[in-house]
Amino acid sequence: MLTPPMAETLPAVEIRNLVKDFKTSFRRQPLRAVDGVSIRIQPGEVYGLIGPNGSGKSTTMKALLGLVAPTAGQCAIFGKDSLQVDSRDDVGFLPENPYFYKHLSGAETLRFYGKLCGLGGRRLTERVNELLALVDLEGARDRRLGGYSKGMLQRIGLAQALVQEPRLVILDEPTAGVDPVGSRQIRDLILKLRERGITVFLCSHLLEQVQEVCDHVGIIFQGRMIREGRLDDLIAIEDQTEIVLRDASPELISQIAALVANTPETSIVRTGKPRTTLERLFLREIREEEP
Amino acid sequence: MSATHSMPRGSHCGRTLVIATHTFTQLARMKVFYFMAIFAVIIIASNFLNLQQLQGPESAGANALGSIKSSSFSAMHLFSVVLSIVATALLLPKDVEDRTLYTILAKPVPRIDYLAGKLLGVLLLVLVALVLMDVLMTAMLQIRMSMILAQQTELATAAGYTPDAIASLRAETMANGPNASLQGAVLAVFLRASIMASMALLISTFSTSTLFTTIVSFVVYFIGHFQADARDFYLQMGQAGQGGFSRAVSLGVALVLPDFQLFNVIDAVIEGQAMPLLLLGKLALVGLYYALFFIVASWFIFAEKEF
Repeated sequence: MLTPPMAETLPAVEIRNLVKDFKTSFRRQPLRAVDGVSIRIQPGEVYGLIGPNGSGKSTTMKALLGLVAPTAGQCAIFGKDSLQVDSRDDVGFLPENPYFYKHLSGAETLRFYGKLCGLGGRRLTERVNELLALVDLEGARDRRLGGYSKGMLQRIGLAQALVQEPRLVILDEPTAGVDPVGSRQIRDLILKLRERGITVFLCSHLLEQVQEVCDHVGIIFQGRMIREGRLDDLIAIEDQTEIVLRDASPELISQIAALVANTPETSIVRTGKPRTTLERLFLREIREEEP
Repeated sequence: MSATHSMPRGSHCGRTLVIATHTFTQLARMKVFYFMAIFAVIIIASNFLNLQQLQGPESAGANALGSIKSSSFSAMHLFSVVLSIVATALLLPKDVEDRTLYTILAKPVPRIDYLAGKLLGVLLLVLVALVLMDVLMTAMLQIRMSMILAQQTELATAAGYTPDAIASLRAETMANGPNASLQGAVLAVFLRASIMASMALLISTFSTSTLFTTIVSFVVYFIGHFQADARDFYLQMGQAGQGGFSRAVSLGVALVLPDFQLFNVIDAVIEGQAMPLLLLGKLALVGLYYALFFIVASWFIFAEKEF
């Protein structure tokens, strides 16, 4: 049994040389979905696994959750083997495009998942209220999930993932098919989780979204991890420096250009006005249109 | 929210009950209890169809009461078997297809708890449905029996029957009314449905569609009605020389495929015969054996299943 200080030093996620083959039809070679992937996520990190469709992201997550058994390699959550049920004590999972039970209301859904984790009584009621407030669904708590929009379903899905206060949350394409407003809400929730020290492991092929929330990134392609590291290190262009000025006069720009021109081995790559993203423009415009 | 806080996990029983009550709610909200209206119509119709005037005290109410019991048990039989097979066949593939299973198994829920919860939920539904049908049938039998007894006494008195003869007539009619054997027969209907539900659960763990599970379950159900005869026939054929092997095969078939002829006792109860408690105990043991056998087999397959 690990003492608490030792437990704190355990990685939240440890995947070592994971290989997963899927059987296909007779006589054919098995399909290798994941090929020697290793990932280590420390507590409190937000890790983004990116890659195109069919690259092995979801299979890696399923192996980590014990939904598929590795052909080779090991997966562990806070030091507990993923094939053991108790490894799921400290993890919450939101699958891609989840369809929860349509006959349950939002509050009933959270109660159901809470009870599965051994919660009950007043503690469960308080937890359900807290989570509904967190995901901004208090107004729809008694509405059946059959009447929820896609964004609302994703948010109730995130709430159920958090019901037992897990230290690790695994999100598979959390904003797939959600409109920009809903997508922003989910991103804000992920940032809130990070503030609270919860480890987040998400996979997505929406690169901009991953860039906004993740501090570590792995790029997976055809089942292999082709690049991994801190996001800032991976995307920095080492031989370039960016200075963004506000209200700079044309004279000042000329002076800077002259200064650069007089400095050997330095050149101006680009000048101009920084652009906002289409998403930010969209969100700003609809906010202005709101009564 | 504390990041290091650990929550209680709950017990096997607790989780199984949570999944069972949820399954019951899910099926109830699919409006399956609407069939109770059909049952009520059947039982009331069977009563009115037999409201002919008694011609004499001997043409007793046994037929009229037998008709109510017969139609009630036919409906109970049909509804319990269809419900137990179709509901069980529907639930597992639906959870896989909708990916709700991922969210459940991603919680600290052992797969056996999930399977047992699903089965228990279906059985709870069948039990509630049978209890409701039983209450309706018993009430209808009680009302009809009171009417028949009054008519019989009146006709017998007018015909000058002795008090002993009247008492004998009344006893005969009452044997066909609501009694403990009838409740035992309802329990037997439930036990048969339990075997079917657990068998459908086993098939649905390796089947890829609801339709396949339903069809195979019904086929096994029909086989169950003549497997005892087939075994006897096979054993007689094997007596010359290969008796040992035949017996082993026969035993193997009996261990895996339920023999539903054991439940023919329900028909005897409908005809007014008493059901011995020992027989009911035997049926309960048979039901328990097959339910446990099928759920353990389901677990072996489901534990290795990948999603």
